[in-house]
Amino acid sequence: ILQVQSVLKVLVTVFCSCYHPFGDLVQIKKQLISVISLCKERGLVHSVKWASELAFALDPLPKNELPPPAIFTEEDCQDLDAFGLAKSYFDLKEYDRAAYFLRGCRSQKAYFLYMYSRYLSGEKKKDDETVDSLGPLEKGQVRNEALRELRVELSKKHSAGELDGFALYLYGVVLRKLDLLKEAVDVFVEATHALPLHWGAWLELCNLITNIEMLKALSLPDCWIKDFFMAHMYTELQMIKEALQKYQSLIEAGFSKSTYIISQIAVAYHNIRDIDQALALFNELREQDPFRIENMDTFSNLLYVRSMKPELSYLAHNLVEIDKYRVETCCVIGNYYSLRSQHEKAALYFQRALKLNPRCLGAWTLMGHEYMEMKNTSAAIQAYRHAIEVNKRDYRAWYGLGQTYEILKMPFYCLYYYRKAHQLRPNDSRMLVALGESYEKLSQQVEAKKCYWRAYSVGDVERMALLKLAKLHEQLNESDDAAQCYIIYIQDIFSCGEQLEHAEVSTALRYLGQYYFKNKHYDEASLCAQRCCDYNDAREEGKALLRQISQVRDQTETSSTDLFGPLSSNNTPVRRVSPLDLSSFTP
Amino acid sequence: MASVHESLYFNPMMTNGVVHANVFGIKDWVTPYKISVLALLYEMTTSKPIALQERRRLNKLILPLQQGPDLTLGQFLKTVGECFLHSITLALLKDMEYFFATLPTPFRAIDSEAYKTSVVGLFMRHMLLAYNKLSFSQVYKLYKALQQYYHSQFAQPGVSPVGIPGLAADNTDMDLTSTEDTMGERMEKDELDTTPLHESDLSRGPLSQKQAEYFLARQAYLLKNDENKALKPAALQDELNNMLKFNPDFAEAHYLSYLNSMRVQDIFISTHSLLHYFDRLILSGSEGKSNGDEGYGRSLRYAALNLAALHCRFGHYQQADLALQEAIRIAQESNDHVCLQHCLSWLYTLEQMKGSDSSVLTEDSVKMAAHFCLPYLASLGIQSLVQQGAVQGKTAHELMDAMKETDILHWKHSLSELIDISLAQTTSIWRMYGKSTMAQQQAQLLLNMSSLEQVNFGVHQNNTEAFAVILCHLAELHAEQGLYGAVSEILKHLKDQFPPHTQHAKLWMLCDLKIQFDRAMNDGKYHLAEPHVTAIAALNKTEGLYRKALVLKALNRTTEAYSILQRLQLYCEKTKYTEMIIRVMLATAELHWESSGFATALPLLLQALSLARQHHLQALASETILHLAFTQLMLGVPDQALGVLHEAMEPVLAHGAVMDKGRALLLAARCQVTIAGAQPDCQRHAALSLAAQTLGEAAAYFSMLDCKERLRDVHYLQARLHHTLGQTAERNKCAMLFRLLDQELPAPGAAVAMRL
Repeated sequence: ILQVQSVLKVLVTVFCSCYHPFGDLVQIKKQLISVISLCKERGLVHSVKWASELAFALDPLPKNELPPPAIFTEEDCQDLDAFGLAKSYFDLKEYDRAAYFLRGCRSQKAYFLYMYSRYLSGEKKKDDETVDSLGPLEKGQVRNEALRELRVELSKKHSAGELDGFALYLYGVVLRKLDLLKEAVDVFVEATHALPLHWGAWLELCNLITNIEMLKALSLPDCWIKDFFMAHMYTELQMIKEALQKYQSLIEAGFSKSTYIISQIAVAYHNIRDIDQALALFNELREQDPFRIENMDTFSNLLYVRSMKPELSYLAHNLVEIDKYRVETCCVIGNYYSLRSQHEKAALYFQRALKLNPRCLGAWTLMGHEYMEMKNTSAAIQAYRHAIEVNKRDYRAWYGLGQTYEILKMPFYCLYYYRKAHQLRPNDSRMLVALGESYEKLSQQVEAKKCYWRAYSVGDVERMALLKLAKLHEQLNESDDAAQCYIIYIQDIFSCGEQLEHAEVSTALRYLGQYYFKNKHYDEASLCAQRCCDYNDAREEGKALLRQISQVRDQTETSSTDLFGPLSSNNTPVRRVSPLDLSSFTP
Repeated sequence: MASVHESLYFNPMMTNGVVHANVFGIKDWVTPYKISVLALLYEMTTSKPIALQERRRLNKLILPLQQGPDLTLGQFLKTVGECFLHSITLALLKDMEYFFATLPTPFRAIDSEAYKTSVVGLFMRHMLLAYNKLSFSQVYKLYKALQQYYHSQFAQPGVSPVGIPGLAADNTDMDLTSTEDTMGERMEKDELDTTPLHESDLSRGPLSQKQAEYFLARQAYLLKNDENKALKPAALQDELNNMLKFNPDFAEAHYLSYLNSMRVQDIFISTHSLLHYFDRLILSGSEGKSNGDEGYGRSLRYAALNLAALHCRFGHYQQADLALQEAIRIAQESNDHVCLQHCLSWLYTLEQMKGSDSSVLTEDSVKMAAHFCLPYLASLGIQSLVQQGAVQGKTAHELMDAMKETDILHWKHSLSELIDISLAQTTSIWRMYGKSTMAQQQAQLLLNMSSLEQVNFGVHQNNTEAFAVILCHLAELHAEQGLYGAVSEILKHLKDQFPPHTQHAKLWMLCDLKIQFDRAMNDGKYHLAEPHVTAIAALNKTEGLYRKALVLKALNRTTEAYSILQRLQLYCEKTKYTEMIIRVMLATAELHWESSGFATALPLLLQALSLARQHHLQALASETILHLAFTQLMLGVPDQALGVLHEAMEPVLAHGAVMDKGRALLLAARCQVTIAGAQPDCQRHAALSLAAQTLGEAAAYFSMLDCKERLRDVHYLQARLHHTLGQTAERNKCAMLFRLLDQELPAPGAAVAMRL
């Protein structure tokens, strides 16, 4: 019936045959161009943007290769005037008016625009009414009244099989808004089959998938766009390694110029805290697309972590110039003020971001952090709770709640929150270390040890777990284990190369020296003691130990045991060496 | 004695045992349903000629209608049962502004029901206020909603479908009807309503704040007082989720969700809800003072305390301990003595649950609570002390005095919950002392007492632990008297009142099992008793072990029984569970009898006797005396035995179980027979006939319990006695009875001479 659809189907089949090695970028480009015009006609601006960005990244087509304009059907011709009129109203956001003039139209295109303007009119009214509502309870009550009618009409057409890819997409959106998530997933999958090139449908699907099993169970159309979807999905599901692989292969296939892919990779690196890579990519992104505002909040997070004040300030200035009323801009400014320790102002800007978009997850969490800095714990708890409400899987908010209660000196209470955070990010050492610390405060040493060891095993970011573990062993008089941990700790610190300000190599060396000395491994002990002398805070003790070692080596066995008997029973030995000994060796 | 302290937990929605929902800000708005209630009220105040009965019925309906969730017009009309609303609604549809203008203003009508301070007046004022606050677009929306509300009822096919378009065309008064309001579109809307999309959403809209508060308060009250009347856990959770969806800031709903998931022992959701509630609470109390008495510091302390209570309830003692320590530390830091007292009382409860001695802590708690004028905590502490004292063998009058003192306190402060607990505790103490009549009297007192608390929502408080304890005691007392019909009725009631998933269900489960076990043992059906042992052990380890030993003993597996008893005795001595120690000693003595070690049993029995007397455990003391007398009889000193026996006879006959009465009489008869054997002929006859009489009494008791095995023994002895006395007719009768029973019963049990 529908020529447009059939044309598209042909395109898809043609394309799919030559799909696999991304061989035919020309074909992809052609498809993109045709889908751009289709989406544009229907007012789906975001999909147009995405497809255009991607098309821009590919080489321009020669003139004879340009895809022919879509063929007009009889119905399209009939509806042409009404559609044109309605589209102009639609573009001016007069949705009801657009819908009114489209109500008699027969073509698929007009039908979609008709339904879509009804949907948007409902959404607009809903937004207007939210401002107008009475009390807190009524807020949740405001809903898009058009949804139910739309659903009934669309489901009728759906069961009759009369919906094209765009209408299916709209049907899915309606279902999602009505919280009928299962049905929505099915419809979106159908929509992707009917019209694989419409990125909006994929994106909606992405929001509905919560775990990898669900993803695997879906049967998706075999199209090049699926790779984009999978990569996006992996990023969402925190499977960063897989996501990076996918994006890499996309780049190799010829999309290397796409700003979309670059930004996605950068975000992925941000998620695994590979800060340098992410920063490099973001800088590249800003070179290619200097007026881009999307993802800049993530960029600012990275700059913040690295405390790169001038860069962050430059970014903030730049974004304010472009558009100061964007969520991302507000977040960047918030980060900027936070870095300058002007936390009140930072919180203010995060609040502004939330006014612009109350469902902006990052801003809630960041605001929580600001309140924490201001020691306003109750406001921090509020902010974190809001963040959790927006997204239950936001581990940073859970972690932040845990920290808040830890600051309030409630180690048992915060366990629950840390556990939650750990559940969401099982391989993140920060949560494990936090858990361990809480357990330690509750004198649950066994659990604490488990946590620290696990934190080390999953790759300790802050390199604190081993040190803490070692100290714990030390406290519990498990000197062998403690020494073992210190050894690994020292190896770890030296192998990673970079200087960490909180590194306590001296502590480790001091303990090891004493440990070897106690066990009469004098060679190792003296080695450790010598290394001790490299550090300011341990120099004296290192020297003292060296003296003792040489003394013992000189003296007979009996006298040495007399001298060091009491000393070896000490747990934190060197510090307690009698002052007399020390003074005699002071240079 | 069961702990009656479980119900102590701090509920922030509760002050002095009354559950409140928070009161704040704007609460109510006008909905079509509210307008129809207003119309009803209007009708009732203006049109006088309503029959008195009808009027009464309507008056009764007003409050639930005002407070309840929104109903559809159909449901509403069904409840009200009137069609007089029809006219006014039509008028209302024509001109809503006029309707609100003509409502009797509560400020003017002084003598009507709608005076400003009355319930009706208050409601009307709320509504008028809410209506006047509406902006134009909101009024328009309300009007549309009202139209739809009305049409959804009356536009059904069959119910005057013609009237509606006319009406829609008529109400051009406010220029509100849209030109597009054609019939076709309306049909479409009807279709929408019939699609089963969100059935719950369609049937009742979101609750207004006031309705939500009322709902929460009602459900919380019901959960506390009569769980069975509250919504089913799943339904309640649905309702709460719905409420939270519309307003995530409604923190009290989280607390109710916590209570609700506690009902079904769901630790995951209950922890989650509890923490969420306190996170929210911290927000609402965050203004101004940060760490003072009222600020969020306070809720922090109680948050930790509640978490401790939660873990305690789930039996995670270590976790509870940690949480409690945290609460105590924070409370100490901020000098909150009231909170500290709460913590302290939890601390000793926890210690008690863990099975260690906590009397010092408790005493401290009582002293401090009295100092800070916290009568609830103080008398809870005293009750706990009394409980411990009773177990440790403090003299009875001290305990009773203490109970009396606290009772005075309770009545003075109207702490009805504690009055219940106190009565339950007195029952338990009397029961422990073996004064069944007193116990029964106290139990009946509680059951028949009308509660002090005002009766909200038509529910008396009767699902507390106190009631469960009392009913269990009653069941056991009736079982002792062989009134098994009554027992099963009581248990049935318990089952209804405390469904198996609830907190106190374990009490009656154990009680039920014990009664069944005892019955099976008395009937000699050991194979029936055996499966009960496992079930009992699951509920109470010590009791289970003891019963296992009893079964093994009955099955003649002496060695195993002995080793179990030894183990049990050691364990009980460690935990100071005196009642069980004595019972174990008695069982061990019985084991000695079986190997004819009567002499070895004696010191054990004497020890048991002194222990029982020391702890005033009269029932156990009498039981021990019976054992002692039997041993003496077996050792050949029947005179002594009879003398000892007389000492126990009186309490046994007065308070003992039917079984014990029978056994005591049987033993007495045996002693009498033995003594008679040594007497001269002339006296012997009289003595023997006395013994026969005693036997007859014993037989009466045994037949009451239908305890065939023992009856057989008694009949045998009776036959022999009558034979000696030369009463042939009686002898033949007894012999026949014996023969009948002997045929019926499978194998001869233990030798008649060898058991008590």
